[in-house]
Amino acid sequence: MATDQQIIESLQELHDLKAALDAHAIVGITDLQGRITYVNDQFCAISKYSRAELIGQDHRLVNSGFHAREFIRELWTTIASGRVWKGEIRNRAKDGSYYWVDTTIVPLLDRDGKPRQYVAIRVDITARKQAEQSLERLAAIVNSSDDAIIGKTLAGIITDWNPGAEALFGYPAAEAIGQPMTLIFPPERQAEETDILARIARGENVRHYETVRVRKDGRRVEVSVSISPIQDRAGKIVGASKIARDITERKHLAARTQWLASFPEQNPTPIVEFEAATGALRYQNAAASQLFPDLPRQMIEHPYLAGILQATAGLRAGDGEPVTREVSVAGRHYAQTISFIRESGCLRVYATDITDRKRAEDEILALNAELEARVAQRTAELEAANHELEAFSYSVSHDLRAPLRAVNGFAGIVLEEFSQQLPDEGRHYLERIRLGGLRMGELIDDLLTFARLSRLPLHRQPVDNTRLVQEVLTELNLPGSGRPIEARVGELRSCLGDPVLLKQVWINLLSNGVKYTRGRSPAVIEVGCAAPNGESIYFVRDNGVGFDMQYAGKLFGVFQRLHRAEEFEGTGVGLAIVQRVIHRHGGRVWAAAEPGQGATFYFTVEGGK
Amino acid sequence: MTGNRIEFLLVEDNPDDLEMTLRSLRRARLANHIQVARDGAEAVEFIFGLGAHAGRSVASGPRVILLDLKLPKIDGLEVLRRVKSDPRTQAIPVVVLTSSKEQPDVQECYRLGVNSYIVKPVNFESFASAVAELGMYWLLLNHSPQT
Repeated sequence: MATDQQIIESLQELHDLKAALDAHAIVGITDLQGRITYVNDQFCAISKYSRAELIGQDHRLVNSGFHAREFIRELWTTIASGRVWKGEIRNRAKDGSYYWVDTTIVPLLDRDGKPRQYVAIRVDITARKQAEQSLERLAAIVNSSDDAIIGKTLAGIITDWNPGAEALFGYPAAEAIGQPMTLIFPPERQAEETDILARIARGENVRHYETVRVRKDGRRVEVSVSISPIQDRAGKIVGASKIARDITERKHLAARTQWLASFPEQNPTPIVEFEAATGALRYQNAAASQLFPDLPRQMIEHPYLAGILQATAGLRAGDGEPVTREVSVAGRHYAQTISFIRESGCLRVYATDITDRKRAEDEILALNAELEARVAQRTAELEAANHELEAFSYSVSHDLRAPLRAVNGFAGIVLEEFSQQLPDEGRHYLERIRLGGLRMGELIDDLLTFARLSRLPLHRQPVDNTRLVQEVLTELNLPGSGRPIEARVGELRSCLGDPVLLKQVWINLLSNGVKYTRGRSPAVIEVGCAAPNGESIYFVRDNGVGFDMQYAGKLFGVFQRLHRAEEFEGTGVGLAIVQRVIHRHGGRVWAAAEPGQGATFYFTVEGGK
Repeated sequence: MTGNRIEFLLVEDNPDDLEMTLRSLRRARLANHIQVARDGAEAVEFIFGLGAHAGRSVASGPRVILLDLKLPKIDGLEVLRRVKSDPRTQAIPVVVLTSSKEQPDVQECYRLGVNSYIVKPVNFESFASAVAELGMYWLLLNHSPQT
């Protein structure tokens, strides 16, 4: 049995303990129904209720409604079954503010082990809770950032590595933390870290430092980095926080923009853009600056602008095609293309320098005029020369023939009237004189024909060569020659030419064929046409005496003969006429032959057709 | 044919051609009444009764003119033009006898109204017969309004 003294001592001890408890904690007691039966001063202080307002009230008076129903039920189940419950609870004070309490609820049991009342001992943890929430928010911000946020020690060892850093550099946090920061430095930039650490140690910040880092996969990434020192509570620098942003795309865009801008900038065509309303210059490329060095200063008064505004009135009012016009500035000519940029109200002017083209055009015009003058002069000269040639031919025709007629005529008269008085030899020589005169007459006639054919104007028209050849053969009167001559005429394509001149060609070639087949039985003259490349090649082939190809070059010359006059008569003008006519048509003529094996003469009329 | 009537006016400056033409006409017995003019001016004076032939009636002939083209002083084409443009003489047949085969000459002669155009052949026999035939044709067969 305890003595009174002992009881007194125990009560004193209990009282002291309660005082200590009240000093430390918020204490409240409720009955089994949750009605408050006791509160200490701290309870009143934190809940801002007076003791009178609390005693007898349901404890739910300070319920904040923050905790889930299950949480509350679990609390009651625990204490109703006689067990102690511990946890953190948010309550609401009388003024509506919240406070957090670390709570221990102890059920006091009766002799049957059933709870009799509940004693709740609480400690205010509001400040701690708020700090925790603040830290959680910060962590969420760090974790959700696209930027890499990294912590490191002053020795450069990684201490923190957010998901943004994982994404940017490819290392999971577990791999990166504990590694030196130089893990993500390219080899040539390792020295940067020494510099950065030195600056951090001095308490300096590094702001928006653009550099290059290497990802785990080896790819390089352009970053903008900001680094700040981290101080402990005592203000001592213990590490650094580093925020790195991927600027690869930004760099790429900037480079691309610069690249694109270089096109108008380097364009040799002056390009200018200005606001239509104010005349303010928005852009001018290098070529424009060179052309108008004072343009930015003078823009509004510049006559150039006035001209453009006038020319684009319609364009600005409606919607039209860009205006094009030609202007002259400082002695040079420009072709302007002006478009209106409706969104910005700007006029954009492209001015192509066409000075050289203009000059070339002027030169061509001048050259053409000069050429025409020269052609006119040459034509006049040619006409004069032609005229002289005509006069010359006339003289030859008239003046050479007259004495020839005298030689011939008087020789004839002597032979006719004085034949008996002449010895045979005299008669023979006189005859030779007469024959010589006749031959000279033929030569003059042929020469005049040749000259005339050269001079006659060419009248091109469709020519039916088959009919032309038939006509000529009829006129040559082959059956009348008294020897067998066979003419084989193939299909001849028609052509564009002068029928009179071409008939002369056929006459000369066919009569040659007749002449040089003398002695052949039968004589065969073949006329045909081939078109190996689309170009009509006509030919006349005979089985006559032919000629040696080494003399072929002489064939078409005037008075050139490959046979003696005793063998075959002729003046040597026929083929010269053929060549002259063919050349005047723009065609070609050539021959192939072998002595004794006949000859073939080929010609074309139109070049290339 | 009347006794003193001039039948032919032969206009020819070349003595060789003149001699041969006269011989051919003689041989064809057409040479009885031939007047020779040695240049165009002489021919015009004769035809139109001017100068040395002043007083001669234009109406008295000749019946045929044989005309060379290339003549001193006044050329054959001019003589032809004057004869054919004068109503008194335009009916006189004019035969051009020439060495020229040149197309412009031939065309001009026909344009001026020549009756015949003969190129003198180099061959003497041809020449003689051509002259003879021509003379005969125009003098005997062709009935001009003056006969």
